[in-house]
Amino acid sequence: MALFTRTTGLLINKFDEFLDNVEVGLLVFREGVKSYLHGDRESLERHLRKIEALEEKADKLQKEIENDMIVHSILPKDRVEVFRLLDRTDEIIDTTKHSLTEIYVEVPDIPDELKDDFLRLVEVSASAGDELIPAIRTYFTTPYLVRDKLIKVYFFEDETDKLSTEIKTKIFQRMPDLELAKKAHLRYVLHHIESISDRAQDVADLLTGMAIKVIL
Amino acid sequence: MIAFFITSGLFLGWSLGANDAANIFGSAVGSRMVTFRKAAIIASVFVILGAFLQGSGTSDTLGKLGAVNAIGGSFTVALAAAITVYSMTRSSLPVSTTQAIVGAIIGWNLYTGNATDGKTLTQIVTTWISGPILGGTFAVLLYMLLKWYKRRAGIHMIRFESYIRNGLIIAGAFGAFSLGSNNIANVMGVFVPAIDLPVIDLGFVAIGSGQQLFLLGGIAIALGIITYSKRVMETVGSGIFELSSEAAMVVVISQSLVLFLFSSVALSNLLNGMGLPSIPLVPVSSSQVVIGSIMGIGLYKGARNMNYRMLGGIALGWVATPVIAGVISYFSLFFIENVFEIAVALPK
Repeated sequence: MALFTRTTGLLINKFDEFLDNVEVGLLVFREGVKSYLHGDRESLERHLRKIEALEEKADKLQKEIENDMIVHSILPKDRVEVFRLLDRTDEIIDTTKHSLTEIYVEVPDIPDELKDDFLRLVEVSASAGDELIPAIRTYFTTPYLVRDKLIKVYFFEDETDKLSTEIKTKIFQRMPDLELAKKAHLRYVLHHIESISDRAQDVADLLTGMAIKVIL
Repeated sequence: MIAFFITSGLFLGWSLGANDAANIFGSAVGSRMVTFRKAAIIASVFVILGAFLQGSGTSDTLGKLGAVNAIGGSFTVALAAAITVYSMTRSSLPVSTTQAIVGAIIGWNLYTGNATDGKTLTQIVTTWISGPILGGTFAVLLYMLLKWYKRRAGIHMIRFESYIRNGLIIAGAFGAFSLGSNNIANVMGVFVPAIDLPVIDLGFVAIGSGQQLFLLGGIAIALGIITYSKRVMETVGSGIFELSSEAAMVVVISQSLVLFLFSSVALSNLLNGMGLPSIPLVPVSSSQVVIGSIMGIGLYKGARNMNYRMLGGIALGWVATPVIAGVISYFSLFFIENVFEIAVALPK
């Protein structure tokens, strides 16, 4: 009995730590992009190292959680879905790391008049991820509240799409002096930032189904 | 010679353990929440304890239905019940040891010209119907309570599952105890009036003939659990309604409560002492109580994915099993008495 309790406690802590890593990763991503837009490369590099460490830690925790759940036969009926949930949530921090790395390596030339738009897009897209984390925590304690929590995820994902389209329209239709190669590069960066909210939406879709299954 | 004659009862006990332990630990083992080894050890220990400590009540009731007073008769009656259970199981027909033994005893009554006590028979048959209904009622109430608590407490899913896992073990132990105490009558009840073993005095406690038989029967049930219940346990769970772990625990507790109610001498005496109507001490089919409990939860959840053919199976079991066992018992008694010249009844 004591063994069960100890394993359970440790596993719950690992879940919390995993989600903490993703949550902090989203904050670091925001700060990293801000640093880049403000021209502070040193700060960008620092944030990049930080997000790499968080992503590595999240991967390690994910493997440990999966291993513990198999070895101790925890949640046998929901295990496959929980693994999928972990995997897709991990993709969010992977995406933030990947996006920040791309920015660091490719050094996209973002015109001054677009910097605020980019910052807004980063904020809205990362917010979808921010709202997702409490919803995942809620799934494990009060699953009937998950749907309410996910409303904001869908809202921010939708806002991200709208804002991204707005910025792309601006780039391709209202900035004739910008070279086509730069326009294409900016579209690529926008796509990276956008994909954070897309990943959050994927997890939200999965979580909706999982919560319904648990409630019934 | 006694050792030979009780083999039919021990075989019944073995088959009961092999089949009915799945009602207690099937969901837990099938979903790999509890290992078979742990389940088998717990079930074996508690089934023996239940049979030994609390097996007399239901055996007395079967004795009132028909006091099989010759060991040849006891052997034949138990064998007829065992053949019925075995052949119906082979034909994939729903069968209950409880109903088979009752039918076989009535077959003995008819063959020997003993009157069947109508009051006791009515009491037994009523319990067969009320057992599953009571199981379903307990299951719905417990399930509602558990759901309410889970929603209110907001416990982490993993922690809740750990509680359920421990709960399944405790409920399984209670279930095994109740199964032993309630169903030992099916296994050894017919031998009690016919065999008089010397009392074993251990100094602090004296073990009478009946209790020695119950102990032997309990061991036979435990052997059935250890040697043959694994496959049944691993395939149980999706027959009627797919169970969540908490529903599985509720079903085990409901079944245990019903079996306990219908076998507890102390509870019966307590109710009597309070001037309330006592609960009849009657062996009930654990499988049918489990089906009643699962159906109760299924109906509460909106009756989706329900297998209503199971309900028809219970009703068929109430009628077909005693009739088949009674016929086999009647002809077997004739055969044993006339071919082997073994007395199947002693003159009163």
